[in-house]
Amino acid sequence: MTTFTRRKALALLGGSATAAGLASPALASNRKITVGALRFTSHSGSFIGFERGYFAEAGMDVEFKFFQAATPMAVAIASGDVDYAVTAMSGGLVSLADKGAVKVIGGALSEEKGIDGQKFLVSDAAYQAGVTTPALLGGKSYGITSAGSSFHYMGSKMAEAEGIELKFKPLQKVGAIIGALKSGQIDAWSIVPHLAKPLAGSGKVHIIGNVSDYLADYQVTTVFTSAKNASDEQQMTRDFLAGYSKGVSDYNSTMIDKAQGDEGVQELVDLIHKYVYADRPREKAAKSIINGTMRLNEGAAMNTASLQDQLSWFQAEGLVDQSISLETVIDPSYVQTLG
Amino acid sequence: MDIRLSGVSHSYDDFEVLRDISLDIPSGKIVCIVGPSGCGKSTLLRFIGGLEKPTRGEVLQIGSPPADCLNPLTYIFQDFALLPWRSVRGNISLVLEDQGIRGPRAEAIIADVLTRTKLSEFHKALPKQLSGGMKQRVAIARALAVNPAVMLMDEPLSALDSQTRELLMDDLVSLWSRTPFTAVYVTHNLAEAVRLGHSIVVMSRRPGEIREVVHLETPLDQRHYGDSALEEKQKYLWHLMREEARAADAELVHV
Amino acid sequence: MSDLSSKPANTPQPQARQVTFRGGGFAPASHRWIGVVVFALLLTLAELGTRQGWISPLTLPLPSDVLKTFGELYASGLLWAHLSVSLTRLFVGALIGASLGVATGVLIGLFSYVRAGLVPLTAALFPIPKIALLPLFVIWFGIDEGSKYALIAFGTFTPTVVATYGAVDNVDRSLIRMGQSFNLSWISIVRKIVLPGAMPGILSGLRISLAIAIILLVAAEMLGAEYGIGAYILEAGSLYDLERLFAGVAILSMLGVTLSATIGLIERRVLNWRQ
Repeated sequence: MTTFTRRKALALLGGSATAAGLASPALASNRKITVGALRFTSHSGSFIGFERGYFAEAGMDVEFKFFQAATPMAVAIASGDVDYAVTAMSGGLVSLADKGAVKVIGGALSEEKGIDGQKFLVSDAAYQAGVTTPALLGGKSYGITSAGSSFHYMGSKMAEAEGIELKFKPLQKVGAIIGALKSGQIDAWSIVPHLAKPLAGSGKVHIIGNVSDYLADYQVTTVFTSAKNASDEQQMTRDFLAGYSKGVSDYNSTMIDKAQGDEGVQELVDLIHKYVYADRPREKAAKSIINGTMRLNEGAAMNTASLQDQLSWFQAEGLVDQSISLETVIDPSYVQTLG
Repeated sequence: MDIRLSGVSHSYDDFEVLRDISLDIPSGKIVCIVGPSGCGKSTLLRFIGGLEKPTRGEVLQIGSPPADCLNPLTYIFQDFALLPWRSVRGNISLVLEDQGIRGPRAEAIIADVLTRTKLSEFHKALPKQLSGGMKQRVAIARALAVNPAVMLMDEPLSALDSQTRELLMDDLVSLWSRTPFTAVYVTHNLAEAVRLGHSIVVMSRRPGEIREVVHLETPLDQRHYGDSALEEKQKYLWHLMREEARAADAELVHV
Repeated sequence: MSDLSSKPANTPQPQARQVTFRGGGFAPASHRWIGVVVFALLLTLAELGTRQGWISPLTLPLPSDVLKTFGELYASGLLWAHLSVSLTRLFVGALIGASLGVATGVLIGLFSYVRAGLVPLTAALFPIPKIALLPLFVIWFGIDEGSKYALIAFGTFTPTVVATYGAVDNVDRSLIRMGQSFNLSWISIVRKIVLPGAMPGILSGLRISLAIAIILLVAAEMLGAEYGIGAYILEAGSLYDLERLFAGVAILSMLGVTLSATIGLIERRVLNWRQ
C-alpha cells in the first residue's frame, strides 16, 4: 500500500510540509466534494481555497453548503451530506465521534496570547453595577447556545479559574444571546472579536476581558470529516487539507502579517465579502471582516492538549460518556499536532 | 286570572304569520288550539307567555294571579326542556332556587309535585334514565311547582308514542279534576284536543286566522278513549281542517 | 303464497342454503390490547435491529439503553428536578391560558358586541406560531419563568376561546328559553344552563389546548431554562445523545397520555349525564 507509507512519511514531516508536499495532487480526478461552512471570517480558509482555485488544483470540485449553527453541520457530516467542515468541538460532535460517525482531523482557529481573540462581554446594566472584570461575575447569568457548546466551555473554564459560580442560560441561537445581552436579560457572554467589537461600540455591552487570559492555546474550531472519509478516503482528505491549508496560509500572511500590504488586505476582503456579510455594503463589511481577523492554524495543525482539556471538561460536566478517549474523537495522522 | 288576546297580528318582514286573532281564555278551563302545521299556533303561545312580541294587537292579563303563584305563565315544552345534568329533583328545584325558595320549603313543594305526578321514587334519576313519558311528567311537575295561573302547553305529547300519550292524557285529566287549572294547549292532534279541551280553537293555514271555536260540554273525567260522541266531534274538526291541511302540506317551506 | 308446502310434488326441491351474512364491519369495537401489541412489536423490532446492526446506532438508540438512561435519570433525582419545573410551567401557563380562554369564550358566546370585536382578533391570533413570539415574550416578561408562562398561556388561550364560544353557541336554545319562561335571572341562566351545557365542548377543547401546551413547553424551555423536560430534550439534541433524547421524548409522551387520561376521567365524572 503505497498510500500508507506516504501518509506515514508526511505525518512525520509535519503540517506545513504536508501542505507543500501535496500541492501537486497524486491523481487529479475532479472529485466532487461538499464542504460545510458558517458565514464567519474564521471559515476564510475554505473560501480562499475555493476562490483561488487551490481545491481545483488538488483535483477537487468543491461545493459549499452553508449552515446556521455547528451542531446541524456535525449531523450533516454524520449523515454523509457534507464531506468536510470547520466548527467547534462541541459535545454533539464528541457524541457523534463516539458513535463512529465523525473524526476531527485538524485545527482551524485557536486562541493565542498576544493575538486578538475572543472577548468576555457584559451587559450595560451589569457594567454600570460594577462588573468590570470577569472575576466579578459571581452569581451572574451567562449566555450559552446550549449545554456543551464552546460558550459553555469558555464560561465554565473562566469561572473555575476565578473560583466563581455562573448561572448558564441556554438560548439556542447566537442572535438570541445578543438580544438578551443587549436588553440586559442576561449579564455576560463570550464571543469572537468581529462580533464583540461592534457590539461594544454600540455602548449597550462592554468588553471586560480576553478568553485567551484563561484558555491559552484554546483550540476553538477544528476541521472534521466523517470517520469513513478519514479512514477510507485518505487521498481525498489529504487533498482537501492541502487546499484548505493554502487558503489559511494566504489568509494569515495577508490579513495578519500584511505581507502584501494594505492592497493585499483589500483584495482578500473583497474575496471574503462574497461569503461573509454579503448582505451588507462593502465598506461596512470590510470593517467587520478586518476586525474579526484571528490567526488560523497553519497547515491545519491542531492542539491536542486543548482538545483533551475540552473532552475532559465535557466528561466532568456529565455531558458525554466517561469512557470516550481522545483517540476516538480525533485522527492525528493528517496534520501536525501541538501542545 | 283570565287572558285576553285582541287583534293580534304578526309578520316576519313581509311574511304574514297571524292575522287578527281575538280570543278569551277563561280561568279554570283548558283551551285547545288546533290547526295545520305552520299556521302560527306555537307563535301564538309564545305571545301569550311573553317570549315573543306580536307586530300588532295586545295580549292582556285580566285580574291578578293568586298570591301563592310563583310564575303566572308557565310553559310545558314538546321537547321537555329538562337540564340533562340535573336529577329529577334538581330540575324542579332549579325553578324554585331563583324565587329564593330553598331548604325545607322547597323540599315540601318538590315532594308534593312529585307525588302528584307519581314520580316520588325517581327523584334521584337523571333525565337520560327516564322514558319520554316520565320526562314529560317531570316537566309537568316542574310547572306545577311554581303554581302557575296559566299553563302554556306547546304540543306536550307530540314527542311520545301513542300508548304513552293515552296514559299522560289520563294523568292530565286527573290532575285537572283534582285542582282545575287554566291552560292553553297547542296541538295538531285532534284526539288530544277532544279529550282535553273545554273549547277548541280551529285555525286556518297561514296567515293563521280563527276559523271556528268549538265548545265541548262533556266533563273531562267522563271523556274516554273511543267515546262515540268524541269521535263525532273529532270527525267534525277534521272536516273543518282537511282542506286547509292539504293546502298547507303543498306549500313550500319558507326559509 | 301463504302456504309454502303446497308446491307441486313433481317439481324438484330447490336447494336450501343459509342467507349470506353481509352486515359485518363498520362497527367500532374496543380492542385496547392491539395498541399495546403494536407498541411492543415496534420496540422489539428496534431493539433487535440495533442489536443485530441492521439499524445503525446513529439512527436509533437501543430501547433498552433508553430505559437504562431513564433509570439513571430517576436514580440521580434529576428526573424530579426536570419534571417538577416543567409541570409547574405547564400548570401555571395552561391555567392562565385556559381560564382566560374560557372567560373570553363565554363572553363572546353571550354578547354580540364582544363577539363582533373579538372573533376577528382571535382568528388573527390563532395562526401565529407562538414560538416565533418567544424572543418578544422574553423582553416583555423576562427570561425567567414569566416568558415561559406567557408562551404556554398564549398558546392554550386561542384554541380554548374558539372551543368555548363554539360550545356556548351549541347550548340547546330550548333550555335557555325554558329558563326565561320560568323567570330565571340572567346570571342564573348563564351559571345553571349555559355553562354546564357548554362543558362538554369546553372539555374537548381543553384536550387539544393541553396537547398544544406540551408542545409549547419544549419551545418555552428553549430560552434560558436550565431544568425542565424540554431543556433536557434540547440539551440531548445538541449533544446528539440519542438515549437521552428518546428518554425525554418518552417522558413527554407519557405526560400527554396522563393529561389525556385525566381529562377523560374528569369527563366521565362531570359529564356522566350525557347519553
